[in-house]
Amino acid sequence: MKMKKLYYDVKKCLGCKSCEIACAVAHSKSETLFSAIREEVLSLPRKKVLHHKDKNYPVSCRHCKDPICVDACMAAALVYDKEKGMVFHDESRCVGCWMCVMVCPYGAIRPNVKTKIPLRCDKCQDKDEPSCVKACPTGAILWQEEIELPAAVKGQSPSGTVPCKE
Amino acid sequence: MKQYIIIGNSAAGIAAVEAIRKRDKESKIVVISDEDYPAYCRCLISYYLAQDIKEEKILYRPESFYKENNIELLLNKKVSKVDPRKNRVIFEDKNQLGYDYLLIATGASSKFPQDIPGIKKRGVFGLRTMKDINDIQGLLPITKTACVLGGGLVGLKAAYALRKRGVQVKVVVKSKQVLSQMLDFEAACLLQQRLEENGIEIILGQDVKEIIGEGEIKAVKLDSGKVYGCSLIMVGKGVAPNTDLIKETQIKINEGIIASTLLQTNISNIYTAGDVCESFDLVLGRLCVNALWPVAVEQGRIAGANMAGENINYTGSLGMNSIEFFGLPVISLGIYKIKKEESNLFEELKISDAKAGRYKKLILRDNFLTGVILAGDIKNSGVFLRLIRERINVASFKDRLLQENFGYPDIIDFVKEKESVYV
Repeated sequence: MKMKKLYYDVKKCLGCKSCEIACAVAHSKSETLFSAIREEVLSLPRKKVLHHKDKNYPVSCRHCKDPICVDACMAAALVYDKEKGMVFHDESRCVGCWMCVMVCPYGAIRPNVKTKIPLRCDKCQDKDEPSCVKACPTGAILWQEEIELPAAVKGQSPSGTVPCKE
Repeated sequence: MKQYIIIGNSAAGIAAVEAIRKRDKESKIVVISDEDYPAYCRCLISYYLAQDIKEEKILYRPESFYKENNIELLLNKKVSKVDPRKNRVIFEDKNQLGYDYLLIATGASSKFPQDIPGIKKRGVFGLRTMKDINDIQGLLPITKTACVLGGGLVGLKAAYALRKRGVQVKVVVKSKQVLSQMLDFEAACLLQQRLEENGIEIILGQDVKEIIGEGEIKAVKLDSGKVYGCSLIMVGKGVAPNTDLIKETQIKINEGIIASTLLQTNISNIYTAGDVCESFDLVLGRLCVNALWPVAVEQGRIAGANMAGENINYTGSLGMNSIEFFGLPVISLGIYKIKKEESNLFEELKISDAKAGRYKKLILRDNFLTGVILAGDIKNSGVFLRLIRERINVASFKDRLLQENFGYPDIIDFVKEKESVYV
């Protein structure tokens, strides 16, 4: 089976943050909203929807093929699993030094200072598909086999300009 | 079949081994270490001393690593000389070993200020190796008070670990702030307060003049003449690259061993990486030793790949660090302080909220980010790092940089990389 990846159709994203809530709930102890909000250590989302110009962008770990965070991890808590196509985080080794937060080029790893464990997407490994995909009311989050995106997608501003600096 | 020798068994050495093996399964690889421990997480030894982690978590790779990768590991062996003319290394015990390709990843050692009388006494330690930790552990049962020399990252980590083990700790800092190599005064104050609240005493603007005690350590005497009793001393006065082994060669050396963009030395089959390597600094625009774990890993990987026949250019490093003490995370990237005479060249953007334990400062030059200090709220650090590394002009979104909801989407139109997840 080819590995699957998360894609986001930013034209469809309303910024409703249903994915954030679903993510936090999925990673809580009880896995239900009503109990999750009463848990002693509040489960936090591993995804954040950020607004830019006229669009919304869900930001979470992309599981890069050459992950800088794995290089930076001084505790060897991060390992890139080639077969699963994901960065695996061994929480038992993590000391909360935040080196991964320091280097993530997408700002997709956020610190949970309370638990001393960084918040990062694990593609909901224990579920058939990531919870954010199910929760998205507009179908903006796509869970599919890896595809190559056309070059023009980046910076698809209304005028179509891509002010990429070299 | 080639023979690779890797001197050094830490971040850079291991990354190099993995990079070579990715491309060359056949050739012989010999890894040499003067320590008696398989590769371990050097930056975690203070956490181990603090008993935050168990010993089994200190190993950087599983015990089977060397066997699985067909590596000959020589522990407790010190290379005293490299002989580039004959392509061989000479050990302290006079044995020799030939190589086709050599990586010098010997790292660095704790500096001990030799002008302090008593610095060589038993009970004075660095915080660099597992041996340091084991020696300190041996004395801990009879240690009630300790003194740490230096308020840098290593000094503070030492103080943290000792405090966690119930020792009364005083940190003697020469400069007017802690972490003077990493933070500005304001962020340092925030951190210092957090350390003091947790029982670590910090003495600023003072240096240790003398270590007092016959045989065993009894006290330290400061510049001010004050004497503080202590029975253990830890020294965090920086590190020096381990370059002794090439002193008699033509290999070019400044502070560290000078590396080309391929991480080659001036001898074509000798490469260098890690804390011993002096390479291009992206922010300073000149050669510099950036003795940091992530830098060592990246350099090791590139050096190893190039030794195995690739031609990968190393773009350069920059000074950066991340640490957390007692729930206060701090990160600094690039230039963290501006010299007074150059202050007109730079612009500062700042958020300061001491009550909330938050401080953020961005340093810009001509609309390019050159430095960042984050304390309390460190999110998006990597996005800032990217703005520095890729030299992205921030003029059009400068007002967004310190806003709460700033993030990667703000810079998406400016990064070099082709977008791969947003459709």
